[in-house]
Amino acid sequence: MPIAVAPRETARSVARVAACALWGLESAMVTVEADVANGLPSFTVVGMPDAAVSEARERVRAAIRNSGFEFPLRRVVVNLAPAERRKEGTGFDLAIALGVLRATGQLTRDADALCLAELALDGTLRPVRGVMARVRRAILAGVSAAFVAPENAAEAAALGADAFGFTSLREVVEHVEGRARQAPSPMPRPAERKDHPVDLADIAGHETPKRALEVAAAGGHSLLFVGPPGTGKTLLARAIASLLPGFDPDEAIVASAVHSVAGLIDPERPLLGARPFRAPHHTASHLALVGGGSPPRPGEVSLAHGGALFLDELAEFSPSVLDTLREPLEEGAVTISRAGATATYPARFTLVAAMNPCPCGHAGDPAEQCTCLPDAVDRYHARLSGPLLDRIDLRVHVPRIAYEELREDGREPSRTVRERVIAARERMTARLAGTGRTCNAELSVSEVRRHCRLAREAETLAAEAMRGRRLSARGFHRVLRVARTIADLAASDEIRTADLAFALMLRAQA
Amino acid sequence: MISVTPSDPDYPSRLRDLTHPPDPLWIDGDARVLATRSVAIVGTRRMTGYGERVAREIAGACAAANVMVVSGFAQGIDSAAHRGALDAGGQTVAVLGEGISLFTGTVRGRRRLLVPRVRAHGALVSEYAPTFSARSWTFAKRNATIAALAEAVVVVEAGERSGALITADDAGRLGRSLFAVPGPLGSVASVGTNALIARGAARALVSADALLDTLGLRAPPAISAPTDPILEALAASALDADAIRRRVRITEDELADRLMRLALAGRVIQTPDGRYRRCS
Repeated sequence: MPIAVAPRETARSVARVAACALWGLESAMVTVEADVANGLPSFTVVGMPDAAVSEARERVRAAIRNSGFEFPLRRVVVNLAPAERRKEGTGFDLAIALGVLRATGQLTRDADALCLAELALDGTLRPVRGVMARVRRAILAGVSAAFVAPENAAEAAALGADAFGFTSLREVVEHVEGRARQAPSPMPRPAERKDHPVDLADIAGHETPKRALEVAAAGGHSLLFVGPPGTGKTLLARAIASLLPGFDPDEAIVASAVHSVAGLIDPERPLLGARPFRAPHHTASHLALVGGGSPPRPGEVSLAHGGALFLDELAEFSPSVLDTLREPLEEGAVTISRAGATATYPARFTLVAAMNPCPCGHAGDPAEQCTCLPDAVDRYHARLSGPLLDRIDLRVHVPRIAYEELREDGREPSRTVRERVIAARERMTARLAGTGRTCNAELSVSEVRRHCRLAREAETLAAEAMRGRRLSARGFHRVLRVARTIADLAASDEIRTADLAFALMLRAQA
Repeated sequence: MISVTPSDPDYPSRLRDLTHPPDPLWIDGDARVLATRSVAIVGTRRMTGYGERVAREIAGACAAANVMVVSGFAQGIDSAAHRGALDAGGQTVAVLGEGISLFTGTVRGRRRLLVPRVRAHGALVSEYAPTFSARSWTFAKRNATIAALAEAVVVVEAGERSGALITADDAGRLGRSLFAVPGPLGSVASVGTNALIARGAARALVSADALLDTLGLRAPPAISAPTDPILEALAASALDADAIRRRVRITEDELADRLMRLALAGRVIQTPDGRYRRCS
């Protein structure tokens, strides 16, 4: 005759705790179900856990015991629902522990919050990556509170959730039981806009390169500086950070969420205050540049989302690495597929690149003679594939400047240029209202046709250019987008001849 | 591909001036071209933008006067001369320092694209068997063949120890008229040519007319175009947009407009590093 064990009043047969799984920036709510039943003592986690989630069993068992609770000597099954997708990372520890405590009646109330933390063996809560994207998902799913480690509290609070930063499992239980309630963390202020190390006013001469920089910053067009070493290519490129318009809140959240997944966020000031400027070294692998690994991590192109990606010494990058840039440049996103996991990260950035004109660096340098053979120069340029060069809208020579120019006064500071950039951006955003896109580089082909209207004289120049330069249709559309930006900077509704001519001039023929 | 020996009637007669005429001479292309009026244009591999432009211009002027251009198909000035003649619709002969099949099979880059054009509008010739690989001495011997095939030899740019100076010596020995293009003092690529002029070994080439004059030809009247200040600014070397604007003193908008029209007319082209180079 079976012995009926009366369940304790407060215990539930199945406990449910809210957690959230993350693949790239894509997230889904996960219900952690815990069931404690009679049988041989065991602890099983089902629902496609990866290695880190399976190991949670050992951490949870130790954390529960070391927090002064009892780990049931019964058959414990934890299910991560929906069970069909693989779950990664250590962020489920807290939810599993609370589920077990709830199922055994050691916790008498439901934790009505997103639980997102790793557990130490002594019950301490540890921070995890990617809190921002998961809290955003939870808010959308109607879960407005989040239990996280103290290091993650600001990140969770930045999105408007009631974020509680607990130091230990014990504290969480005390809070849920209502014995020692904590106050939610205040919403952190966004990081302040730093003073930029490089201002346009610091750079002498270089009128055309500076103007190209302004066009790139305003329209999001990709830009390549070519010139001898020491002429200020890097300085110019770095100055783009001082020209980019401010972040609007939505953009800032997405960009910050990418940084959060990469674990690159300031725990005190989780929201990025300025558009990112990323400058990976030319030895970067394609994993570093476009992201990858298992689980897939965001690469530099995604960390630069919303801002600028600077590739110095472009020709020194491995050609196969550079070719991986084609997808993000075209799609504005990167999809990384691995066995069992696919992650999509946003990657809409302004590409700024710099390179020498030839292997020795002195082609076209009046101060020094180039010692390269013509074939070597050709080979050097051939390192950049045609498809990549085709996607670079602006190619500008940065010459060695004369002494007279060094002394020249009346240089425009970045602040003034930035105002023009912001005004031009406003025109673009108004035009693209409702599409989710913000700048001319992102105009679709039909939008190019609709918005890039040419003045009558410009029309003839366009026709000649199409014929004379054998521009491809795509190349021509890219020229039109740049011309649209130049006209926007001049607050002109129509693209005038001068705008088109300047756009053609900035787009070098390969 | 055919081969001819000095006893053949088709053998290029000018080669018989050599002490040891090539025997046999391998020809890939139109053998008759070798008997036409001809000028050799040679120079350094490490050319400057100035040298490239002058080589193209002289080759173009020769082509316009129906004079065939001989050169050595090396990188730099040689290729620029072949290209200049072909672009102007003329004929050109490339004298190789190795076997023709070996060369056409191994050459890479822009010169590879030039091979079929030279074959179609002239010939590739070599005194070496088709698969013979180059040695240091084959080029020196090849240079003598270039000088012998031409009625006049022009050295566009040559460094202090450039192989083009060997061609110049051979031209002197064979009694061919020798011209050198004067270059800026201090330019490494013009040390050799300036020295040729200084010691009286070569005449300074100041226009294509003088060259064609020695062949008893007149240059066809140049299409007189009003001189454009932008083209003048680009005479010596390729420049970036700001440098042109400083020299010509016009507004940014005007410069962009005029540069683009010159580019569309084929008068200037943009170099891969974003500067502007004059084409003619």
